[in-house]
Amino acid sequence: MEQAYSRARILMVLGIILALIMADHLSSPTFAFNSGQGNVATALSQRDATACAPCGAPCPSTRD
Amino acid sequence: MPNSAVLQPGLQQPGWQIDRFVVTTALTGFVLLGLLIWLETAPFMVALFVLGTVLGIALYHGAFGFTAGWRNLVVTKRGAGMRAQLLLFAISSLIMVPMLYSGQSGLTGAVAPVGTSLVVGSFIFGIGMQLGGGCGSGTLFTVGAGNIRMAVTLIFFIAGAVLGSIHLPWWLDQPGFDPVPLVNTFGISGAILVQFVGLGLIAWWVNRIERKAHGNIERDELLWKGQSHGILRTLISGRWPFTWAILILAAGNALTLAIGGAPWSITFAFNVWGAKALEVLGVNMSQFEFWTWDYPAMALNDSVLTNIPSVMNFGLLLGAMLAAGLANRFNEASRNRPEGRQFLAAVVGGLLLGYGARLGFGCNIGALFSGIASASLHAWVWFACAFAGSLIGIRLRPWFRLPN
Repeated sequence: MEQAYSRARILMVLGIILALIMADHLSSPTFAFNSGQGNVATALSQRDATACAPCGAPCPSTRD
Repeated sequence: MPNSAVLQPGLQQPGWQIDRFVVTTALTGFVLLGLLIWLETAPFMVALFVLGTVLGIALYHGAFGFTAGWRNLVVTKRGAGMRAQLLLFAISSLIMVPMLYSGQSGLTGAVAPVGTSLVVGSFIFGIGMQLGGGCGSGTLFTVGAGNIRMAVTLIFFIAGAVLGSIHLPWWLDQPGFDPVPLVNTFGISGAILVQFVGLGLIAWWVNRIERKAHGNIERDELLWKGQSHGILRTLISGRWPFTWAILILAAGNALTLAIGGAPWSITFAFNVWGAKALEVLGVNMSQFEFWTWDYPAMALNDSVLTNIPSVMNFGLLLGAMLAAGLANRFNEASRNRPEGRQFLAAVVGGLLLGYGARLGFGCNIGALFSGIASASLHAWVWFACAFAGSLIGIRLRPWFRLPN
């Protein structure tokens, strides 16, 4: 069957995505904490029990 | 090296081809990212990453698309896809409603306010589904499988989601009321029963449409065996019967709740990715109210590897890529590149999907599937409005040169 894609392009796209993830992670509080920096607030468990929706939106009744 | 390899000895399945390059690349990505998550976060996050991968495989091999299921009912008057979704909701409701409301601490359901934002958002999302070519999960798994048109949809899905996040506070100030968990009115058993009645009524309506048009009902959603190959080959390279996908998706959502503390969601991650990209470009997102709320602020400030929807989405993309490689169909849908109006449909559809998902508190997974599994009234309103929007989207498709 004729190849439907370019291997180089696939590797390049995945490489870019991995690089973006790494860049984001290396500048994050979690990476700083893992590197021994103690005075950073990480958010491994990102919960907001007071939120009214999965996206963290407040309840309409609490809004002015 | 040839693009695909024929598995001959051992498996005794002549003609069974896999795409070795895609399978190897997907597995390498899975191992690399899995290791990174393992090293930098916590074991439960690795478990969710693996779960996302399995869900990606199930979505691809099961060809479990909400969008096509709805369109088939409207256009060809066939309801198997729709009934498969209803069955999925019923099973998940039966498992997850007791999990959520039996007093176990640390579990939060997918409940959301009911009001203008939800109605407008889900209606817009429904239009976007048909123009963009998929919902939240559908867009992701087809992108993972190498579909270029859907990659365009995803990019604009993200853009629309960020725009929606900026506007959401205004929409929340329009008429609406707080979440309504059905359990508060009917109790656990009663809420499940009420939802079963609702799902049963929709199934009856779907059956009526199909029988009226064709004189019979195709029960594809109840098939247990693949029709063309043996069980092993079907399991590895697809296509799965609907029942397999239904069971994996139902179990997957319940496990997501058990491990992550909240049901499966997809589109919040798109908000985070888009907002992070804008911050890189110099935009201060904290000037927008949405990004000052606790959860969005936490997600924006920390690594994507600590955000559950993001981690599961990465797994889903890789799972779909792996499945497409095993089926030897990676990138198969992109032989004809989107041009002209088809490209425009991906752009418009993506924007509507993103904006609608944010206003509607999620997509078919986060708002509909997880919402019904949490016995939340908003999921039913979302279902009705998104289906109505989808009818408009189906009518618009021919103008965009999209087949119906």
